[in-house]
Amino acid sequence: MSFSPIRLSLAAALALGAPAIAAAQTSVTIVREVDSNNYDPQKSTARSASEVLFMMGDTLVGLDPDMQTVVPMLAESWEMSEDGLTYTFHLKDGVKFCDGKAMTADDVVYTFDRWLDPETKSPVAWRAGEVESVTAPDPLTVVYKLKAPHSELLYQLTQSFATIIDKANVEALGPDFGVTGFNGTGPFCWQEWTPRNTMTLTKHEGYNWGPPIYDTPDAQVDEITWQIVPEENTRTVAVLTGQSQITQYVPYIALSQLRAAPNVNIEQSDAAFWTYFLGFKVDKPTVSDPVVREAINLAVNQQAMTEDLYFGEVQPAYSYVSEGALDWNHALDDELPKYDPEKAVEILEADGWTLNSDGVREKDGVKLQPLAYVFAGSTWSKIAEAVQADLLKVGIDMQIQAFDATIAWGKMSTQEFDMFGMSFPYVSSGDALNLYFRSANIPSPNRMNWNDAKTDELLRTGLTATNDADRAAAYGEVLKQVHEAYVWLPLYHEPMTIASSTELKPVVPHNLYGCGLYKGISIAYAD
Amino acid sequence: MTVTADANTTTATPEDAAPPRRAPWWLRLLRDRAAAAALILLGLIVLAAILAPLISPADPFANSRNVMIPPIWSERGMAEHLLGTDGQGRDILSRLLYGTRVTLLIGLIGMGLGGVIGSLMGLVSAFYPRLDPWIMRLVDMMLSFPAILLGLALVAVMGQGVVPVTIALGVASIPDCARIARGIAVGIMKQEFIEAGRAVGLSDLTLFVRYLLRNAISSIMIFMSLRFGQLILLGAALSFLGLGARPPQAELGMMAAQGRDFLLFAPHIAVIPSVLIFLIVLCANVAGDALRDVLDPRLRG
Repeated sequence: MSFSPIRLSLAAALALGAPAIAAAQTSVTIVREVDSNNYDPQKSTARSASEVLFMMGDTLVGLDPDMQTVVPMLAESWEMSEDGLTYTFHLKDGVKFCDGKAMTADDVVYTFDRWLDPETKSPVAWRAGEVESVTAPDPLTVVYKLKAPHSELLYQLTQSFATIIDKANVEALGPDFGVTGFNGTGPFCWQEWTPRNTMTLTKHEGYNWGPPIYDTPDAQVDEITWQIVPEENTRTVAVLTGQSQITQYVPYIALSQLRAAPNVNIEQSDAAFWTYFLGFKVDKPTVSDPVVREAINLAVNQQAMTEDLYFGEVQPAYSYVSEGALDWNHALDDELPKYDPEKAVEILEADGWTLNSDGVREKDGVKLQPLAYVFAGSTWSKIAEAVQADLLKVGIDMQIQAFDATIAWGKMSTQEFDMFGMSFPYVSSGDALNLYFRSANIPSPNRMNWNDAKTDELLRTGLTATNDADRAAAYGEVLKQVHEAYVWLPLYHEPMTIASSTELKPVVPHNLYGCGLYKGISIAYAD
Repeated sequence: MTVTADANTTTATPEDAAPPRRAPWWLRLLRDRAAAAALILLGLIVLAAILAPLISPADPFANSRNVMIPPIWSERGMAEHLLGTDGQGRDILSRLLYGTRVTLLIGLIGMGLGGVIGSLMGLVSAFYPRLDPWIMRLVDMMLSFPAILLGLALVAVMGQGVVPVTIALGVASIPDCARIARGIAVGIMKQEFIEAGRAVGLSDLTLFVRYLLRNAISSIMIFMSLRFGQLILLGAALSFLGLGARPPQAELGMMAAQGRDFLLFAPHIAVIPSVLIFLIVLCANVAGDALRDVLDPRLRG
């Protein structure tokens, strides 16, 4: 079967009419898979919203691509009080919104008030901590007072949810805020949005307050078009043919081909802060048995999965957060369960799970057939089927039930299933642990029903710690606890991979909330 | 003299002497070369599907580290995987055999379900003219509801699986079957033997079963055989959308969907099951057409 991908791509490009090639040199098209339903920073948790909001708006503080260093953005500097309850931010002078209006401390106060207002129903309000008050003693100073210390606060303030918005703009647009327009202070400005098709941004003239992680303080291209292309092969072809200059949404299978292509650069981050896992409902029959959960952890070959399904482009995961994440407990490094199907069989046998005539294990008449809920679509069907086949080899007959994303979220907050497939971005161990393991977050996102007083207490200790060592110790202890209980089956950590045209300068992939291009400031044509 | 007499007897063959008699229907069917080829191929596919557990060379559910191996005739092919392996390292030939089973079964059961319910509705509708408008308006309503949408709705309620897809196929074929059955039955109801039956005081049940159903059934069967190909295609389409078989079960439409991601790099994963779907549907349509030509009395020249 001789087959030329290049010839096929050319044919496809001709069929598509290759519209972007003739455009001016300072416009860039970014292809991506899905659109967001809105671009209101406090109301959307979608990555597809965040990746555009990072470009259209700014946060008080930014994050270095190392995912650990907080850098100045709208705030020039900041101090934390001894007790960890008061943060004082000193704003940069001369910051303007896209409409030319100056941004002041009042806009920051308005942003946080709206974020925390129960009326806003922000699904991410918890990220702001237990806020006492946010005040503006003068136009360039913001005082952020907490009821309890929040060790994650600065990291949370780097997220797109904390994007500073313009009160007049919010009030003028009402429910259409983030739908028909958005007035931000970012390096790019909202031009036009046609949902599920394109989002066009233009350069913010006069912008010079970009974070110091970039070579220049302002955007280097005049226009950015985010183009929705749902089909992954089509996105690959778009990059190969120059219809799209840069994207993080190319399939892993295409990376070796793209690396070989003379006109495409591939940049990959060392950090991989997007983790895929299967969680267990620890109080449901069969998976309530820790031996079963341990056996499942031993029976699945993450290494083979990353090499065969992802062509070695992702990192096999044995830990619940990347070992490179802030506060990861390195004492656990050597204790994580690795692929060992013989041991899985051994511990299952010892625990009384014996093989029946169908090749499925059972104990006291109960068959070992955990039901897993996953998202429909190629990513999860691949993962789930690989896990299913590995488990079948040790006599565990995992049942897969896939749901379309529109109903999957609802289904996954029920008690109907034994296992669930999920993936998530995080900035630190604490970020991940507080999201998933707090008993207050049952039934969702704590879908495991992990209800442990010690965990709750340690998480609170970590969250309210006023120094790095205390926080790391508390989170390290929680990590040890949940890993030893095999609450999840970690699968892989996904690094950020960006494919770009050689016409562009190479960019450093970012990992914040899975938004590889972050502010978009480094997108620039080579000279 | 004797020689001539002999010659005379040899020319007067029985065929010439007897009035022209039609060959049995199956023989006429096989004389149509296209139909014969389609029937034989379809028979082989069905046989292979039935014998899948016996003849499949590998476990269709077992993954392996040999992923995306191309078929044997390409350079990198492997002897133990005649048609290569898919993205999970599973043997495509084995999955194809098991997948054909599921695909055919979904089509057959869906057709049976729709055929029985649809025909009954059509026949009852013709038998009791007072019910006719009600039943036929119901059928019109069903006709306006797309099968794919129905499949989606059923899957949302029942969860992904073979059962909701089969039901969707069955429901989708009810209206056509009902209309055909009604058309045939209306014709039969005008026949004199129905009058006669009524006159001698036969019960409705006897009239319905022995006079109406028996006379209508062959025409309905022919229609359904024509419909089979479409149902296979619809079932595969629903599976392609991810509504059908649940993994690790294989199904042809689902195999094609899984291969879509590899289309640029390992096209055989999507192409092989697609070709098989094409062959099954083609054979079913050709055979169905030929069957109608042979069996339908109205088409006799």
